[in-house]
Amino acid sequence: MAGCQHRWEMADVEFGFVAFERCFHCDGLRTFFSPEQAPFLGEEYREGRCFWRRVENAQSLRFSLRCARCGERHTLEELMGLLHCSGCDPACEIDRLRLQAEAAGEWVLVGFGFADKNGAIPIPQAKLEILADYFNQRRAASRPRLRLLSFEQIGELSRCHGDFLHDVGMLSLEPPPPRKSLLVAPAPEPGGRAASNADRENGHDTP
Amino acid sequence: MTLRDLIDRLKLKSLSTFDDRDVSGVVVSDMVSDVMAGAKSGNLWLTVQTHKSIVPAANLVDVAAVVVTSGKTVPQETVDLASKYKVAILSSELSTFELVGKLYSLGLGGT
Amino acid sequence: MEIGRIKDALEALVIEGEERLDTVVEHVYASDLMSDVLAFGRPNSILLTGLATQQSVISAHMAEFRGVVYVRGKKPKDGSARFAGEHALVLLSTDLDMFEACLRIDAAWRGGLASAQAVTHDARAHDLLLSREFVIAGSDFTNAGMVSTEIKSILRKIGFDPKLVRRVAICTYEGEMNVVMHADNARVTLAVSPQAIDVLIDDEGKGIPDVELALQEGFTTATEEMRAMGFGSGMGLPNIKKNSDELEITSQVGKGTRLQMRFRVNGNPS
Repeated sequence: MAGCQHRWEMADVEFGFVAFERCFHCDGLRTFFSPEQAPFLGEEYREGRCFWRRVENAQSLRFSLRCARCGERHTLEELMGLLHCSGCDPACEIDRLRLQAEAAGEWVLVGFGFADKNGAIPIPQAKLEILADYFNQRRAASRPRLRLLSFEQIGELSRCHGDFLHDVGMLSLEPPPPRKSLLVAPAPEPGGRAASNADRENGHDTP
Repeated sequence: MTLRDLIDRLKLKSLSTFDDRDVSGVVVSDMVSDVMAGAKSGNLWLTVQTHKSIVPAANLVDVAAVVVTSGKTVPQETVDLASKYKVAILSSELSTFELVGKLYSLGLGGT
Repeated sequence: MEIGRIKDALEALVIEGEERLDTVVEHVYASDLMSDVLAFGRPNSILLTGLATQQSVISAHMAEFRGVVYVRGKKPKDGSARFAGEHALVLLSTDLDMFEACLRIDAAWRGGLASAQAVTHDARAHDLLLSREFVIAGSDFTNAGMVSTEIKSILRKIGFDPKLVRRVAICTYEGEMNVVMHADNARVTLAVSPQAIDVLIDDEGKGIPDVELALQEGFTTATEEMRAMGFGSGMGLPNIKKNSDELEITSQVGKGTRLQMRFRVNGNPS
């Protein structure tokens, strides 16, 4: 609605899981939101030429944003999650933008879209801006403002060591192991099958 | 009540560097997803999580401080990241349940 | 505290275990990290969590908890209810958040002391919440220990800290044994307030000639016969002194002994 100074609120909040799956054949990664955590970690299934294995069920949430003043609503179905850049690669554009933002008294998170077997699904920049507004509207004025960057600006996704803001390891009966990057393809084991955190968590033996 | 008052009265340990600020309300959860949905600016966030991703999560919802309960050790990595972003990380030997009772008796309500 | 009272305090929905709401729990554990629940949870607890998946029920079961309360209106969608039913766990769901849920349980717990059966009896400076009387018969070795067992059971049901209950039980037991071994009979009075647990053992019997001497470790007047039964190692009064916060012993030879013990509820004993 023209002229409305939107005041955003969360709406349609749904808790669930962001599933991370790897194809051990082509090292592809795909992610999607699921209300349930099935299949469990380590389970595999075949789809075409790909052999997908669930490597993580990250507890997360999805929601829409609604303006409390005019009712305008935006779904955020394209948003997989938010990632904190750990500055692992000075050559990465995100790191450069992060440093620039911090020099200007802001701070940065990276908005991720989902990935399917064809690759990353872009997330509209306009939605990232609305989401940043949502968070900025509810922080104390003295605190640095948030800027949301798009994951499309990450130089090499498969080398990113940032931390997602989601919950992993909550269900592990053992103290949660140190987090490995979910975006980095695991090193291949002899025989071609890659190990994962999931295997350790479930006590699976890799052949 | 400010963070400094709270630290004194409850004998909390300050782990990171931060600016003092008012505290209003308490959010209790070990799940970042719950905190993202339920926390409000200025809350005290009680948790046993210590992974460094609690820092951007805390910053995102602008809590006044993260209080790590149950005497959990907070890794230096988490403390350093918190100091960098001026996110207050405090710690208590009390369990989450016990600390809730104490905070309530000091007049701090829910989110 | 009974799970049913927790359900009322939280205005919770019963997902499973309607018939087990009278189960008593002794501790509350608020966490979403199941490895912690397993490592640090104590038996006979109830879990408060926002993690509504089957693993939270499994973890609760493995830690010997008696129930799980999901906060923030969360409800499990998987086989949790069935697992809970198979393992006699109660599952509740409350719309309250974790903070509010903790507070309400805490308030109900303290209020629980007031709702226990109370017989007004020698009210002291503190509010008397519960008072019970028992009788010990001298030389009744068969029933020796019954009173301290009963007192322990009462205090556990109220939900006092197990370490505190253990101290009270030890002292009461020692006192009870002294009556059985050395006195004709005794009246035991248990008085509970939010601040303290008082146990008075007032006996009729031969009395203690030298209380100071009796308080020394190793001193015993137990007969051979008693010692053969395993009693009378002489640890009675010193052990009581060690485990209680306040102790008053008065005695008159030929008349009897009065043992007044107090155990403070909050904070450290000394």
